[in-house]
Amino acid sequence: MTIRVDRPVSSLYAPRAVEVRPGPGGKPELVGGNRVDSVREEWLVEDRWWTSDPLRRHYLEVVLSTGRNTVIFRDLVSGRWFEQR
Amino acid sequence: MLTEPVALAPEAGREQAIGEVSGAAEAFGIRAGMALSEALGRCPRLALIPPDPGRAASEWELVLRGLEGIGAAVESDRIGEAYFEVDGLRGIWGPSRENVLIRAGRAIGRPVRIAGAPTRFCALAAASTARPRPRARSKARRLPRVIAAGGEREFLSPLPVSLLDGRVRDERGQVADDRGRLVGTLERLGVKTLGELAGLPRVAVADRFGALGLRAHELASGRDAPLRPRLPHEELIQAIGLPEAAFGTQLERALELLIERLLADPRRRGRAIRSLRLEARLTSGGSWGADAVLRSASDSPERLRLAIGSKLGGLAAPAASLALRALELAPPGGIQPALDPDPAEVRRERLGEAVKQVRAAAGRDSVLRVLEVDPGSRVPERWATLAPLNEAGR
Repeated sequence: MTIRVDRPVSSLYAPRAVEVRPGPGGKPELVGGNRVDSVREEWLVEDRWWTSDPLRRHYLEVVLSTGRNTVIFRDLVSGRWFEQR
Repeated sequence: MLTEPVALAPEAGREQAIGEVSGAAEAFGIRAGMALSEALGRCPRLALIPPDPGRAASEWELVLRGLEGIGAAVESDRIGEAYFEVDGLRGIWGPSRENVLIRAGRAIGRPVRIAGAPTRFCALAAASTARPRPRARSKARRLPRVIAAGGEREFLSPLPVSLLDGRVRDERGQVADDRGRLVGTLERLGVKTLGELAGLPRVAVADRFGALGLRAHELASGRDAPLRPRLPHEELIQAIGLPEAAFGTQLERALELLIERLLADPRRRGRAIRSLRLEARLTSGGSWGADAVLRSASDSPERLRLAIGSKLGGLAAPAASLALRALELAPPGGIQPALDPDPAEVRRERLGEAVKQVRAAAGRDSVLRVLEVDPGSRVPERWATLAPLNEAGR
């Protein structure tokens, strides 16, 4: 049996789009269908604001009902949610 | 030409000292290694010839092969000097030692000073005072000089201590270059002959001159280290012509190409390379050369490039061509593993093998290396990236 792995070479830590349902106040209630138990930490990243492609992200480190610890962010330019790490 | 005062000019980019000199130049008190200004001061009509170490090495290699062709196990640390054990050849070319030396002279096929003695230094002294033997097939019948065992001290005794210059070896067996200080000091102290040096108490010599003095004392007393003959080998050389005024990156690329060609040479038959010589023919005439000896024999292009690549910096003049010569090859049968292998190296080899196997099963990108880029960044995708892992596990 031969397994072929086709993976872009620089994909480590690349953000992946994730479905997030925000609750009251904009805090996420569901991430990828899993309930959010708690938000451990949140922070803002503003970078490359001097370029035509600025980076503005609202990061949250959350603990899901499955026990998994994950980092998600909302792209403040496009409004879309991503999971990272 | 050698009847005129002639010397080899200093090599480009190296110390301003002359090389080998002719007999006529010696008559003016000029010696190899003397500063150019002093040599010209002693003989204003001294003719300087651009050195061509590449051609000299090729010609000398022919001489050594000639000697090896008659079965001699030859030691040669410098061009123009070779030593071999005579007694082992007496059964073939003897019975006398003189017969063996005559046969060796014929094998060399050019005028040569040759002599036999129980030690290397004594043989050199005997040959230095001998008249050159004429070319092969000459009708001249003059037996080479042979110093019998036990007679070396008596023979050396009246000879000047200056014969020791550049002949004393350090503890590693390398010729110690003390720029004539030992001989100069001996002469100033009134020790003019090898006999006078041999007559000094060893303790006194050790006290005044240290280890180097003790070794000089041993040579003067007729004792010397045993010969260390080289292993006969075949010629492996690759050369490439260069565009005009090639320098820097162009030379590096040419060297990489030469390494690849040398490793691909079928005459290598899978043997690893232990030492290399990089040679360049200079556009201004003459040539340049530099040797590199690897700590362990290798057939890795990267290791060879690291070993010889740094020598390119010593090339001080534009080169018309570049050549790479394998001076010594490891024995057939591949690279021999060390008796006590380095655990890190063993792990790396096993990892390299594992990488090969995984790639064969799962594709080229199945094994990658995490390369840290900016671990302190606030944006996670900038922390690290994935890069190809080479099969050496690095």
